[in-house]
Amino acid sequence: MEKTLNSYLEKIERHLKPLPISERVDIVKEIQSQIFELQSNGKKPEEIIERLGNPKELARAYLGDLIAKDTSFTWAKVLAMFAYYSLASLSGLIIIPTLAICAPVFILCGIVVPIFGAIKLIDHLLNLGIPFAQHIGVSGINGPVSIFICCIVIGVVLFLIGCGCWKLLIYYMNGMSKIRLYVNSWGRDKTQNKR
Amino acid sequence: MNIDDWKSQIKRGTLEFCILLMIKQRPTYGYDIISTLEKYPILAAKENTIYPLLRRLLKEDYVSSSWQESAGGLPPRKYYSITDKGLAYIAAMTEEWNNLLCAVDEIKGE
Repeated sequence: MEKTLNSYLEKIERHLKPLPISERVDIVKEIQSQIFELQSNGKKPEEIIERLGNPKELARAYLGDLIAKDTSFTWAKVLAMFAYYSLASLSGLIIIPTLAICAPVFILCGIVVPIFGAIKLIDHLLNLGIPFAQHIGVSGINGPVSIFICCIVIGVVLFLIGCGCWKLLIYYMNGMSKIRLYVNSWGRDKTQNKR
Repeated sequence: MNIDDWKSQIKRGTLEFCILLMIKQRPTYGYDIISTLEKYPILAAKENTIYPLLRRLLKEDYVSSSWQESAGGLPPRKYYSITDKGLAYIAAMTEEWNNLLCAVDEIKGE
């Protein structure tokens, strides 16, 4: 085979480096076979090379997703990543710790408050004289029964707020990782569309 | 009027269908596929489209391949033949293709 064609095939092989050797050999062998077919139909080496195009481009077509995934670099993508991480870290700095603290604390309070209400009620009904039980109370409300009811209502509200915080936290995290996937795949889709 | 853009979009999906149909007819090799497609300007595609496409079809098990000696002193050719999975794929594509043609005809109102 002509020298120019041989060096063309060598170039393709070099650009196919990311692929396993067996695949590379197979691809080069197939392109070589194509070149022979073209030659036997009277095509000149220059015509063949022009037809097959830039070896790098041809190899890239084979690598496809592989190369687009690893080395696609566009300014738009970098800017999108920059915007994403700025936003994520800024909002994350406030939102994640706040929600992460609020959720368990509210849930815990939601459980503890009715328990205290119950202790007060039991103390009153059975005259146990539990120490400090007289200090349990809701300002402006008298009578252990109404305090107990009030405690249950407050407990439920606090518990729901805690659960809400927890759900919000999960929702925020899921949303952020979805955006990240989108940003990551963005540059890739663009390079694929170009082909 | 940017008909070329539209044509390349049409071609993108259709080429895969046509290549599979050709391989279904009889086992064939890359050069033969490219030569046949060249008869139809709307489908004509170069090596850098066809070979990677064939490789993808191979990886997805729609076709299988084998190297076969050829007559006349030429080097071996890589022949592609259809697999069962490929046949099922073609059947599904044919149905969708017909749906598309029917839809277009109906919308045209002819």
